[in-house]
Amino acid sequence: MRRLRGYGSLVTIVLIAAAALLYTLVAGNKPLLGLDLQGGVSVVLKPVQEVDNDTIDQAIAIIRQRIDAIGVAEPEITRQGSNILIQIPGVKDKERALELVGQTAELQFRPVLANVPIDPQEATTTTSGDPAATTTTAPGAPTTTIDPTKTVGGLSLDVCTAGMTAEEINATGQAVLPQCQDGVLVGSYAVGPVSLTGSALETARANLGETGQWVVAPTFKSGSDGIGGFNAVAGQCFSKGSTCPTGQLAIVLDGRVLSAPSINSQSFKADQIEISGSFTERTAKDLATALKYGALPVEFEQQQAQVVSATLGKDALHAGLIAGLVGLIAVSIYMMAFYRVLGLFAVLKLGIEAALLWSIISWLGANNGLALTLAGITGIIVSIGVSLDSNVVYYEHLKEDVNHGRSIRSSTDKSFVSAFSTIVKADVASLIGAALLWWLTVGPVRGFAFYLGLSTALDLLTSWAYMRPAVKLATRSKALLSRPWLLGIPAEKSQERGNQKSANRPTAEVPK
Amino acid sequence: MSTLGRLNRGETNIDFLKWWKIGLALSVFLMVVSVGSLLTRGLNLGIDFEGGVSWEVSAPGVSVDETRTALDAVGEGSAKIQIVGTDIIRVQGPESTPEHTIEVTRTLAELADVDPADISFSTVGASWGGDVTKSAIRALVFFFIAILIYLTVRLEWRMAVAALVAVFHDVLISVGAYSVFQFEVTPGTVIAFLTILGFSIYDTIVVDDKIRENERLVGQSGRLTYGQMTSLSMNQVLLRSINTTVVSLLPVVALLVVGAGIMGAVTLEEFAIALTVGLLAGAYSSIFVAAPILVWLKEHQSKFKVIRERLQSQGVDVAHAAARVDLLGVTPGAPAIDGSSTSATASGATALGTTSTPSGVIPPRPRKNQRKR
Repeated sequence: MRRLRGYGSLVTIVLIAAAALLYTLVAGNKPLLGLDLQGGVSVVLKPVQEVDNDTIDQAIAIIRQRIDAIGVAEPEITRQGSNILIQIPGVKDKERALELVGQTAELQFRPVLANVPIDPQEATTTTSGDPAATTTTAPGAPTTTIDPTKTVGGLSLDVCTAGMTAEEINATGQAVLPQCQDGVLVGSYAVGPVSLTGSALETARANLGETGQWVVAPTFKSGSDGIGGFNAVAGQCFSKGSTCPTGQLAIVLDGRVLSAPSINSQSFKADQIEISGSFTERTAKDLATALKYGALPVEFEQQQAQVVSATLGKDALHAGLIAGLVGLIAVSIYMMAFYRVLGLFAVLKLGIEAALLWSIISWLGANNGLALTLAGITGIIVSIGVSLDSNVVYYEHLKEDVNHGRSIRSSTDKSFVSAFSTIVKADVASLIGAALLWWLTVGPVRGFAFYLGLSTALDLLTSWAYMRPAVKLATRSKALLSRPWLLGIPAEKSQERGNQKSANRPTAEVPK
Repeated sequence: MSTLGRLNRGETNIDFLKWWKIGLALSVFLMVVSVGSLLTRGLNLGIDFEGGVSWEVSAPGVSVDETRTALDAVGEGSAKIQIVGTDIIRVQGPESTPEHTIEVTRTLAELADVDPADISFSTVGASWGGDVTKSAIRALVFFFIAILIYLTVRLEWRMAVAALVAVFHDVLISVGAYSVFQFEVTPGTVIAFLTILGFSIYDTIVVDDKIRENERLVGQSGRLTYGQMTSLSMNQVLLRSINTTVVSLLPVVALLVVGAGIMGAVTLEEFAIALTVGLLAGAYSSIFVAAPILVWLKEHQSKFKVIRERLQSQGVDVAHAAARVDLLGVTPGAPAIDGSSTSATASGATALGTTSTPSGVIPPRPRKNQRKR
């Protein structure tokens, strides 16, 4: 037991590293690859004018909904200051995704000129008895497969995933617009010019109506820009005049008809409108959100957009990994050539750090969605140098002390104290730099700073917990002590002095 | 003993006082070239700083001319077209509409005979690069302030100032190198420049720590000027400085040669060039910029001024490094040195024999005082 004292931290850190690695392997955690490594779309949006936090949060919620609509896995939407960073990994239709996030789409109310149902399964209008209620179509899920070459009602069948251009939407004239559900075309509407936009709405909410059905209740603003405008168009539709022969008013977002309720009343009060139909809780809430925030609350400027092909991303990952490996082998050889057994311990220290780093990155990737980018890999490769620097500082200190006549054994602890103080000063300076970079910068710089900071912190930990006891283990070993060259340390002075005469090393120069 | 052997034992005797003058001339020259090039040639800023669209596609066997002919048809004939890495075609054009971007993407896909999804492209608004630079400069300013405070607390303000001058020197020369060779500046480059700060500081701290250890001895013995003592400290940590630089440089060079050169990963190249330049500058400046500035600041301190003047009046050559000296005057195991070194210092030459300067100020204690583990 006595022999183990002083090595507690060594045993602990090795066990922790092994346990962490084992957990990572068993749990199947893997680092989450960033866009630049697995391909995908990344967009930075910047609001055109000054906005408050709530507005940005609203915008993020809407953008998330839009991206979810095209069915991609795990879009990452985060805010950086007042900018919004959108990252969509592995998306197939990159062009569409790019278009979608940047649009400052407008919610529009347009009278329906003609209604072309596309699937016979499609449900038709139902009416509720409430005089203040309107009705909406709620189509059932279609089962047809999509053939993009086929057109129905003047629309190609892939319009729901391909999207509409501004000309096709034609806000000032007539247009044929699709109704989509889960990316599938389910209806087609010929609509007139836009009669009202989303800015007329105050708010909207989904709640359970009197009949136990889900309904959506929009509240309009007062005045002619709000409820006045709505009543004007509602009147036309109610009377089924030439501008609104079907009696339906379409709610259009991003060129798609969300809903086209029939107008059942000549005029409405601003807060007593209900849209009913066969809503589920989800569809009702979706419509309410679209009405409430339909358009992005603020106009955004696309500051940067990046589309990385999966092939190029993979190439970059391979290049980074191989470069890292070659660099690792090169420094390992250098360290072992210079410091022999101590060099080997330094390489083992890298191994412990690597196990911990891999576990942490994998864990963060699985639980916090933190992705490993190419900048991050570079940061890690650079940190190989940072980590070995600590070993060099310690070993050189050790050599110097032995050179000055101390025994190897007594130098081990003594030099660690001064060397560690140097290491802490230098590492803390690095950490300060990394932390500032992380806080104050944007985009790829942050990823780099994070991984550099993380590995610097790990270096501090392993230098203290592993390097000292490991070196002590080496310098206590009788086998190594009798062969100092194996340690890369010069022979102790006490041994050397006997056979080295002062003749070849003059003790003083004679003054002239 | 061979030079390498002496280096290995920290027993070299390089007269850094002399080399500093050469270093000063070199640094001034490099800085003048850097500033001159920055003013006349400027920097080759990537599209991230000026706004525009950049496409990249892996297209083995397709030449720049073929690409230009193909792009002429979609109005991008004047775009900047390069082959980067081994077979990646990079096209850079001005900002345009999303429709046009997609048109060019399709043209390139046809040319390279790949799926449009295999083409990487990025569009950048002109304000993006400005934002990146602005945030980097802000980070830089905060970094300078934080490091100044940190080093002042942990070491002393003169060392902090000297370290920061060295860092400034490194960044200026690295940016200068980018201007002279017209390497493209990208956000990756900015990251690398920021990393250089950390490295440069690291090297300087290692040297400063040693100087501080020896400093107390100078004050006690009064046999060396601050400059001579610093030169001695440099010699003692020379191998340490070399090795820390080598182990930092090796992975970065691997990144440059293997990652960028052989595998053709463009982003890696951007990082690696800046890091290599910066690391070399950092290693150089910790010895040739930070140290002489520290000495200059220190020798204005009355304590060290007195020592210098006294040594000068004794006829000691203070312009050059002293021969290896035993600062403590006590060498474990070689007590005979004591008398001779005293007489030697009087004439400026010093004891060569023992070369011993225990790294700690405290002489080695007898074994029994060592803590038993």
